[in-house]
Amino acid sequence: MSKKMRNQEKHRILMVSDFFYPNFGGVENHIYYLSQCLIKIGHKVVVMTHAYQNRSGVRYMTGGLKVYYVPWKPFLMQNTLPTFYGTLPIIRTILIREKISLVHGHQAFSTLCHEALMHARTMGYKVVFTDHSLYGFGDVGSIHMNKVLQFTLADVTQAICVSHTSKENTVLRSGLPPEKVFVIPNAVDTAMFKPASERLSNREIVIVVISRLVYRKGADLLVEVIPEVCRLHSNVRFIIGGDGPKRVRLEEMREKHSLQDRVDMLGAVPHAKVQSVLITGHIFLNSSLTEAFCIAILEAASCGLLTVSTRVGGVPEVLPDDMIVLAEPDPNDMVQAITKALHILPQIDPQAMHTRMKTLYSWHDVARRTEIVYDRALRCSSQNLLERLSRYLPCGAWAGKLFCLVMIIDFLFWHLLQLWQPDRDIEVVPDIHLTNHRRGETSQDFSIDDNLR
Amino acid sequence: MEASIGRRSSPTRLKWRKVAYGGMQPGFEDNHTDESFLEDMIMNASVVKRDLLKVMLDSVSISQYVCIVALVVLVWTYTLRSTFNENSLMLLDVILLGAGFFVFLLTAEMLSFDLLLSYVLKIFFFITGLYVLSPIYHTLTRSISSDSIWALTASLLVLHLFLHNYSGSTVKAPGALENPTFTSNISLNASIVASLLIASRLPSRLHVFAIVLFSLQIFLFAPLVSYCIKKCSFRLHLCFSFGLMAATLLFVYRLHGLLFVLLLGVLVFVNLVGPYWLIRIQEYKFEINGPWDEAKLCFNITE
Repeated sequence: MSKKMRNQEKHRILMVSDFFYPNFGGVENHIYYLSQCLIKIGHKVVVMTHAYQNRSGVRYMTGGLKVYYVPWKPFLMQNTLPTFYGTLPIIRTILIREKISLVHGHQAFSTLCHEALMHARTMGYKVVFTDHSLYGFGDVGSIHMNKVLQFTLADVTQAICVSHTSKENTVLRSGLPPEKVFVIPNAVDTAMFKPASERLSNREIVIVVISRLVYRKGADLLVEVIPEVCRLHSNVRFIIGGDGPKRVRLEEMREKHSLQDRVDMLGAVPHAKVQSVLITGHIFLNSSLTEAFCIAILEAASCGLLTVSTRVGGVPEVLPDDMIVLAEPDPNDMVQAITKALHILPQIDPQAMHTRMKTLYSWHDVARRTEIVYDRALRCSSQNLLERLSRYLPCGAWAGKLFCLVMIIDFLFWHLLQLWQPDRDIEVVPDIHLTNHRRGETSQDFSIDDNLR
Repeated sequence: MEASIGRRSSPTRLKWRKVAYGGMQPGFEDNHTDESFLEDMIMNASVVKRDLLKVMLDSVSISQYVCIVALVVLVWTYTLRSTFNENSLMLLDVILLGAGFFVFLLTAEMLSFDLLLSYVLKIFFFITGLYVLSPIYHTLTRSISSDSIWALTASLLVLHLFLHNYSGSTVKAPGALENPTFTSNISLNASIVASLLIASRLPSRLHVFAIVLFSLQIFLFAPLVSYCIKKCSFRLHLCFSFGLMAATLLFVYRLHGLLFVLLLGVLVFVNLVGPYWLIRIQEYKFEINGPWDEAKLCFNITE
């Protein structure tokens, strides 16, 4: 494929989610790093999210990443209030202004994502959806969430999941054909997570735990495991970073077994300081009860720590067997796994592990694979309203008809907006290219082509 | 021999592995669906196969309780019509208290004099409290119209029946393992409020005391007594329930024909139609378990 043809296939992508900077988390980092790597390849990326306290309006981030902080306040767990048609005008304006070719939504729990994907489909854009979490099937919340997901994914062009277990879970929840779901894992910024320059001494082994101290992340398992490990191995110390409702239980455990000198509780650790906490340890302990893909393990492995984790969700797929010791979510099993890890520890070389992680995971690789998904999505044929409605009907006896009604009203509202504020009246944003000194001529070529268009 | 030559001539295709590291697996696209897709899924792991006769016998507890509530409503109607006077009501209260206590003593396993004394003391305080508070209940709903009272009472009783815990008892019997659930507390509160509303329509304070004592005795202790009977012997439980159902149907027939038909319809639905329908729709149950489930902790969290 000639360079000229590759130039013409550059996409203009809108990433939509409720979860973005200034929040820190798996989804937020994924969107940020993916956007940066896509910009480096030459695509244009715009992010849309809701306003965070005073941070509202348009902001620019590193590399010219434009972020629209739409002035909707979050109402529940960082989600915007779901008014079905309220976001249609602003989304239409953004899509036309930025000449978007493809909309990419993240996280099933984000109401803004579902609404944006619905409106984008109504207006004829191709959509891609990435699911970052695992959900159950049995309880009331999950049943409703799965129905909403079924609605959104009934008409999505392509879907991406972050692990094979997540793909199975998403296919079961939404009824998508498995061929439509791509598995593209997260990655880790190996430049930021470097091991310590000097190897730590092996006299005293330090086990690091960094996670939110909630039930889902297995804080109760920690309460059972830590005293037992401290009893069995006298040269082991724990460092616990993070905060949450279960912190009280951990403090109580510390008092009850008099482990004040062997267990350090650091409180909430800001994202920028995570690496400095990790490099003080030899082993990283993850006790979550459910994980679609655990980025914390990648960060620890990139810093040269040996990982001990519970065998849940997508965790067995994340690291090769010699970099991780898996255990069932049972305190005895976890204590045995920690003992095994302590025996393996002398053979671990942090620098070698870091170098190996650079070959196993890279955000550039993720961006390239995502680009393939985008190419596939844009090659799919466009469908008119009737063909799309026929995809919603099989969702359920009552639900199918309700979904069709929702889409028809959306369609009518869109046409009303087109009459009221025609497309040609919306100003298009000119492309601004930040000159990238490292890249030299390559970026110059792109900007010349764009100015000629 | 030829097969291996054939394999060697085509490029060696590595086996697809269910891993996320190492980038795209060579020779496979990212949306490749292997044969091992969904092989760890377990379906209907904890679904219990039900037997029609057993479900029908279990539904007898429900219809027994419906009959008890119907009898309570009957007593309320007769009292409001002044068919029962306060002395007969007091007599009824004493008989019920004695009978219930008798059944409880017969079927209770752990008996000690201290426990008995504590129960007697608690009942004494309960009755004294009710007697002292009955003037308040007497004038509680003076300003509210009768229609609102009947409507409110009817809806509260329906709520009570819907949310009632038919498998155990809200008032914890000694030795019972379960704690009362949230909905069983709501149903108990609904029944108490309904009985207070009815009591406030009565002419004198002694009436009020008698009817409130009667209603509270039934709503608080009838589930406990029937739980004790069921625990003691299942046949006794069946005999008691059928006898109660027959007596209730007879009394309601003497009161009003339409209500009799309604009650009969409810009992037939609960005992016959309900179990059959439940077993029919059990075929559609689809429970999914797999590696994506949240792990269950095998130990109890002691706060």
